[in-house]
Amino acid sequence: MESVVLSVSDLLGLVNQTLEFAYPTVTVVGEVASFKVSRDKYVFFDLKDDTGLVSCFMTVYQLRTVIEDGMRVQIIAQPRLTGWGKFSLTVRDIQLVGEGHLKRSAQLLRAKLQAEGLFDATRKRSLPFMPQRIGLITSAESAAYADFIKILGQRWQGVEVLVANVQVQGLEAARQLTRAITFFNEQAQPVDVLVVIRGGGSIEDLAAFNEEPLVRAVAASRIPTVVGVGHETDTSLCDEAADVRAATPSNAAQLVVPDARAVLLGVEQHMNTLFTHFQHRVVIQTSSVKNHINHLTEQMRHRLQTLQQQTNTTAKLLRQLDPMKTLERGFAIVRDQEGKVVRRAVQQASAGSNVTIQLAHATITAGVIDVQE
Amino acid sequence: MSKSKTEQPLQSQLAALDAIVAWFTEGDFDLDLAATQYAEGVAIAQSIQQHLTKLENHITILKERFDAAEK
Repeated sequence: MESVVLSVSDLLGLVNQTLEFAYPTVTVVGEVASFKVSRDKYVFFDLKDDTGLVSCFMTVYQLRTVIEDGMRVQIIAQPRLTGWGKFSLTVRDIQLVGEGHLKRSAQLLRAKLQAEGLFDATRKRSLPFMPQRIGLITSAESAAYADFIKILGQRWQGVEVLVANVQVQGLEAARQLTRAITFFNEQAQPVDVLVVIRGGGSIEDLAAFNEEPLVRAVAASRIPTVVGVGHETDTSLCDEAADVRAATPSNAAQLVVPDARAVLLGVEQHMNTLFTHFQHRVVIQTSSVKNHINHLTEQMRHRLQTLQQQTNTTAKLLRQLDPMKTLERGFAIVRDQEGKVVRRAVQQASAGSNVTIQLAHATITAGVIDVQE
Repeated sequence: MSKSKTEQPLQSQLAALDAIVAWFTEGDFDLDLAATQYAEGVAIAQSIQQHLTKLENHITILKERFDAAEK
């Protein structure tokens, strides 16, 4: 067999073609060493184990978690020879492996974002009391989704829920979650509140919620956010960046809508208050009218009594002045012949003339025999 | 033409009911006006109760895919 003579570049090209054909991508696990970011654009590090070491390259934009030397990672990469004949892995994706490293990475990212003020209490917005449209970001096949919809329905009705069905675990999860947040924020008619939920899981399962681009997307959302990831004890960086943290997906539903029963009870209490105040006012007004009537009646009665007394006094006086009473006591009225009462006997009666004597019950006509004064 | 209070969104109706209760608790008022306010409060309360017992949630799973490659 004849040997083929190749240029160095051709050789490198041939090897790279062979590698691309045989191993378009490889997944490799190892420990990070000599981690370095160059010009804020390029990331270089070595991936090693007890006996081997391979150089790796990626852009800083692909870096979604904080990496440092000693951390154990799993990478998806494309193997290739560089122009200098150096074997290298061009990393497409990188993921931390192991609880300790995930926690450490989250700690480092928390410190970084905290320094930027991303978790400040002053950034937190309150949620609308009665949202009419809710953007829900989760896996539509998950128990978290079922719990949220169930609790939402138990508490409140009349709301429109738009569900972005995304992966909530694995390499793609953070990217899909981030895209969904961006999608809702770009709508001409944005929803009233964004809810990001996921059920419980291991720290690896929840790792997506500690990835920097997603945490930043939650913090930057112009729509108020509620994040409920994992169980009560799990706190992701997305939880910390959200306006409101929900302990669980069910708790997210409790936080996002009021309880219709409580609202109805409040309405009932309002009605009782209204009725009580209205009734009280009617009683006061009725009592006031009654008092007026009583006062008037009393005044009338008093006036009548006074008039009665005055009438009685006058009647008594009149009775005392009745001439008949005097006649009954034995007195008599003497009239002359013209019928005038005789007051001056010498002038009105003379001997031989007649007078009329009126007694109480009789009248006597008598002749005058003598007149003396 | 402005909507009557019972045609407004639920939150506005609750606010209107709150205002009527506050008006009643503020003290002196005219009995005729109180009767009108009371009738309005009752109508709003009934409307809220109907709202909360008759409505349903609408859930739509978006057709958009979020697994597309980044732009």
